[in-house]
Amino acid sequence: MSILVAENLTKHYGQDDTLVKALDGVSLSVERGEFVSIIGTSGSGKSTLLHMLGGLDTPTSGTVIIDDKDISKLKGDELCIFRRRKIGFIFQSFNLVPSISVYDNIILPIQLDGKQVDKDFVSNVIETLGLQSKLNVLPSKLSGGQQQRVAIARALASKPAIILADEPTGNLDSKTSQDVLGLLKTTGKKFNQTMVMITHNDEIAQMADRTIRIEDGRIK
Amino acid sequence: MFNNKTIARLEEMLDAAIEGNFVESEYDETKISRLESRWKEFLGSSVLSNKNLENERHRLEQFISDISHQTKTPMTNIKMYTELLKEEAARGADASIEKISNYASMIEKQNTRLEFLIDSLTKLSRLENGTLAVVPKEEQIDKLIATSISAIESKAKLKNITVTHKKDESLKALFDLKWTNEALINILDNAVKYSPEGGAIEIYTEQFEMYQAIHVVDNGPGISEEDTAKIFGRFYRGSEVQQEEGVGIGLYLTREIVAKEDGYLKVVPNNKREGGEMIVYLRR
Repeated sequence: MSILVAENLTKHYGQDDTLVKALDGVSLSVERGEFVSIIGTSGSGKSTLLHMLGGLDTPTSGTVIIDDKDISKLKGDELCIFRRRKIGFIFQSFNLVPSISVYDNIILPIQLDGKQVDKDFVSNVIETLGLQSKLNVLPSKLSGGQQQRVAIARALASKPAIILADEPTGNLDSKTSQDVLGLLKTTGKKFNQTMVMITHNDEIAQMADRTIRIEDGRIK
Repeated sequence: MFNNKTIARLEEMLDAAIEGNFVESEYDETKISRLESRWKEFLGSSVLSNKNLENERHRLEQFISDISHQTKTPMTNIKMYTELLKEEAARGADASIEKISNYASMIEKQNTRLEFLIDSLTKLSRLENGTLAVVPKEEQIDKLIATSISAIESKAKLKNITVTHKKDESLKALFDLKWTNEALINILDNAVKYSPEGGAIEIYTEQFEMYQAIHVVDNGPGISEEDTAKIFGRFYRGSEVQQEEGVGIGLYLTREIVAKEDGYLKVVPNNKREGGEMIVYLRR
């Protein structure tokens, strides 16, 4: 049972002489509970691919199916709600809301959707990420690694169908990166959470169960 | 209370779930749309738990077939050497004492192998079905390392291998001392096995905000990048090490133990550094 299936994705910019094929027929699938890394150099098309998978950008052709739904057919508001319910994002720059506490950041996606907060589950997530003592502070009071741990907690808390992590350690020093990657790996297993991580680094990619390599917009 | 349209949609949702083809209709801010998404989430997680059960059953089948396969070789060898021993003994006064004692030691070796195998399998099954639970609590890292070293010291001495570890009594992490000892012994045992005569094994620690790492470095051949993902598989043996004794269950067991206490393992492949390096990350 695949939770994510991408078929023959292409993304072209410009035309004729200036045509750039950022993605050139990419197909892949991810099983429930899997931790997959997509590795490629800058300009390989890996970020474009992640944007397509997360519904942040539309492909020139091809389909992306998440949780049995073809997201290329969703428009505007519908796509927005779909993303909020089904996809957890972890960005290189953390993207926490600066004006609200760590705890409010973690439950924000749940509240935006008008759902009840599953308190036991959320406190389990918080404890696993070692954030118990930081819940009432503002994100700006935290180190980079701690902020990224909040972002991981936020992504896990709403139990999305899939978590997409774009260079999650790109802004962290190597020691903090190891911490964050370890947490991604162990929490994914613990909470049965499907994850796809984008990276340009071999060593980071190795932390995943499976590695997909992308070069010049194609899977190698 | 509910209008007919809502009831009709709820019935449709149930029917579709029974048929196994439920798809959410559209995404908007209505309660029914949210309910559809939750319904989908529930169905997804029950599919996952069914799949896990299925995997579990498959694993058990695989496990049993692995055991019968793994026990076959030592059993056959024991049988064969026993036959040879009997034949030699039947020659009475002409029998070669040298041959007899050679066969006897071969039987002993195979027996040890079998014993080790069964011992490991028992541990593994206790770990997997939870008879002997892994209970992490705050423990001293030094204590863990020292007990593990003492378990392999005599083996290391036989090959003139030095084992070094810089003490630091302040380091603590969350782990189950008994099980984690087992895990670390497996790693050290491998380091001894694959180190050359007169080699050196270095153990050092490294602190992170969330984890406490234990590095085990040896000057053996190390692990190739392509093998790094495979070495944790059950009964996996590296291609260059087939002649070394071992059953290929240690690292699998080690990974299972460490995962149960929310830690993980990392291998540094031998294209990144000379020799072998394995890192255990334990939660702080």
